Amino acid sequence: MKKKTRLLSLIALTAIVAVGLLAGAGFAQNAKHARTAATSACLVTDIGGLNDKSFNHLAYVGLQAAQSKLGVTGRVIESKSGSDYIPNLLSCVQGGADITIGVGFLMADAINTVAAKFPDSKFAIIDFPQEFLASKPANTRGILFREQESGYLAGWLAVKELVSQKKPLVLGAVGGLKIPPVDHYIAGYIAGAKAANPKAKVLYGYSQNFVDQAKCKELALGQIAQGAQVEFAVAGQCGLGALDAAKEKGGWGIGVDADQLFLGSHMLTSAIKKVDVGVFRTIKQVKGGTFKGYGNTTFSVRAGGAGIGAISPKVPKDIVAGEKLLEKKIKNGSIKSIPTTVP
Amino acid sequence: MDEILGRYRLLQRAGGLIAPVVTSVMAFLVGGLVIVATTHKAPWGVYRGIFNGAGLNWILPWISAVDRTNAGYNLQQTLLVTTALILTGLAVSFAFRCGLFNIGGQGQYIVGAVFAVWIGSSLSGLQPAVHIVLAVGIATLGGAVWAGIAGFLRARFGAHEVITTIMLNWTAIWVASALLGQGGPLQGKNGSDNPISADVVDGAKLTVIWGDPLLQGLSIGIFVALAALVLYWIVTSRTTLGFGIRTVGKSTEAARYSGIDVARSTFLAMAISGGFAGLAGALDILGWQFRLSVGDVQASQIGFIGIAVALLGRNTAVGVGLSALLFGALVNGTSTRNLDPSVFRPELAGNLTILIQGLVVLFVGADVLVLVVLSRLRRRRA
Repeated sequence: MKKKTRLLSLIALTAIVAVGLLAGAGFAQNAKHARTAATSACLVTDIGGLNDKSFNHLAYVGLQAAQSKLGVTGRVIESKSGSDYIPNLLSCVQGGADITIGVGFLMADAINTVAAKFPDSKFAIIDFPQEFLASKPANTRGILFREQESGYLAGWLAVKELVSQKKPLVLGAVGGLKIPPVDHYIAGYIAGAKAANPKAKVLYGYSQNFVDQAKCKELALGQIAQGAQVEFAVAGQCGLGALDAAKEKGGWGIGVDADQLFLGSHMLTSAIKKVDVGVFRTIKQVKGGTFKGYGNTTFSVRAGGAGIGAISPKVPKDIVAGEKLLEKKIKNGSIKSIPTTVP
Repeated sequence: MDEILGRYRLLQRAGGLIAPVVTSVMAFLVGGLVIVATTHKAPWGVYRGIFNGAGLNWILPWISAVDRTNAGYNLQQTLLVTTALILTGLAVSFAFRCGLFNIGGQGQYIVGAVFAVWIGSSLSGLQPAVHIVLAVGIATLGGAVWAGIAGFLRARFGAHEVITTIMLNWTAIWVASALLGQGGPLQGKNGSDNPISADVVDGAKLTVIWGDPLLQGLSIGIFVALAALVLYWIVTSRTTLGFGIRTVGKSTEAARYSGIDVARSTFLAMAISGGFAGLAGALDILGWQFRLSVGDVQASQIGFIGIAVALLGRNTAVGVGLSALLFGALVNGTSTRNLDPSVFRPELAGNLTILIQGLVVLFVGADVLVLVVLSRLRRRRA
């Protein structure tokens, strides 16, 4: 009995070693990195992943546009956990990328570390101001957006629509995590609503989450119960739940980041942030040799990096015309200093 | 059938090595079939990508110097994940020995990480050794207390630990989110308003033994994890406490009849389990992460992968160590950066890890099937 046990252990050990060796033999060959003359761009997503239908996805769309229109070579790497950030960025740099772009504030500390370590490479980070990176690397540029302008346009449109429908002027907004880009949207939304009608009231809350739709839905249902007629979802995937709540209760929904009018007839419009434009132009600058580290590029309505998406066909023509006028005013600077912080 | 079960027991006693190995190989083979079905390409390239991506080619003597540097870096990353997985695996295994299913490894890990980041980022100027021991100790204790709650509820009121640990996971996630979120007491003051803690001070960082300390090199944490494996073996097989816990695990009634304090064993088994997970959180924070954000807390899966590690490792010290290495290699080897985008579309690549992990867990339950096949083959030969 004892002998048999020992024999079995021996067989098992041999098997493991054999599998290891066989595997090794098969894997001996290694991939070689081909260096090409074309500009190469490398994108590293945060843990939201490429299928988030919003921010990481848009960044990838920008990279793909750069590949097809500018002829650059592109590579995208998804991060699955916090331990992926630095290795992913490193993989870009060592793969010879001319520009490495980190998507989202979660990447900030990793970009800071890697950019300081490789001063000859170029980096960009979306949604994080360069001056807040601890070592303020001179080879890194922040790509920022004026979300408040998009929010302002959305809030104004929502209130005008409610006025024309003779409904109570109560608006709702559901944020994900309380982070600067989310607050910019909501602050602009509130300011836009008040500009359309000072009596307008905005209810807002944070789901503390960008993924779980149930959380945003719950929050939105609470706001609707308090009289909210419109739900502005500023929470990535989670926000789809808030839009769903608006649909169920016969209210309006306002999408975020990407144009989300396709979600249904309950959609009023979407507050847009063109991460794709930001990525594309940054890569174009690198290709053209005009890229500069240190500092930020801010994409506004004027620069074509923010704005609102398609508007529901149910909205009266004069309101749509008013919205176009408002957009023009933001562009030419007659409406400025839209607040960026929520009271 | 009796004969098969008898042989199954024999195999388990033989260190239970064959079944886990066959299980893993089968999972990879079926994973390969999925690769063929979805990409219409031979899976060898993907297997090689995983192997090299995990840095396992570092052991091969014939690779070039450049490749060895890359492989070394990849292996550091694999071992880094392995460190945490050994401990979260032990957190599940130890409770299993007492017949308890600790699903709360994730929550206990988070509690440990929060305490580690709190102590590690404050108290600057403290003697480094003291600072590290203090941070690691309190984080371990925090994890133990967190799991101890579930142990106490089980021992005192009979509340099932599966339910309570799952609830404690969520409690940990949301408490941590509140602490690190905007205006929370642990949010760092770097001016950006992002929900992320302050950085761990230099004195509280673990020494890096392999690789660049700035680029996530491997810290001494791996030795702490290996020591924990030895400790686990000693406690479970060489102490009275471990004997009591194992007896309770086999039969509560028999244990009670023979005078073992079942409530005490249950509580201690859970608390020690939680200590392992809390330690994992501390080593991650002080070893390479150095800060904690709300996003990290909500996205982390390391405690849940620990369940798979324990299942595959059959709750033995050697088994947990090896399966932690396997899962560490898998997690790292299947990351998008290591897979060829021409074989795997980048938006799909992230799912490969989850797929193979799922298959391993599925096949863990299927090893009796393996033995049936083996015995058939043997009979035919005879």
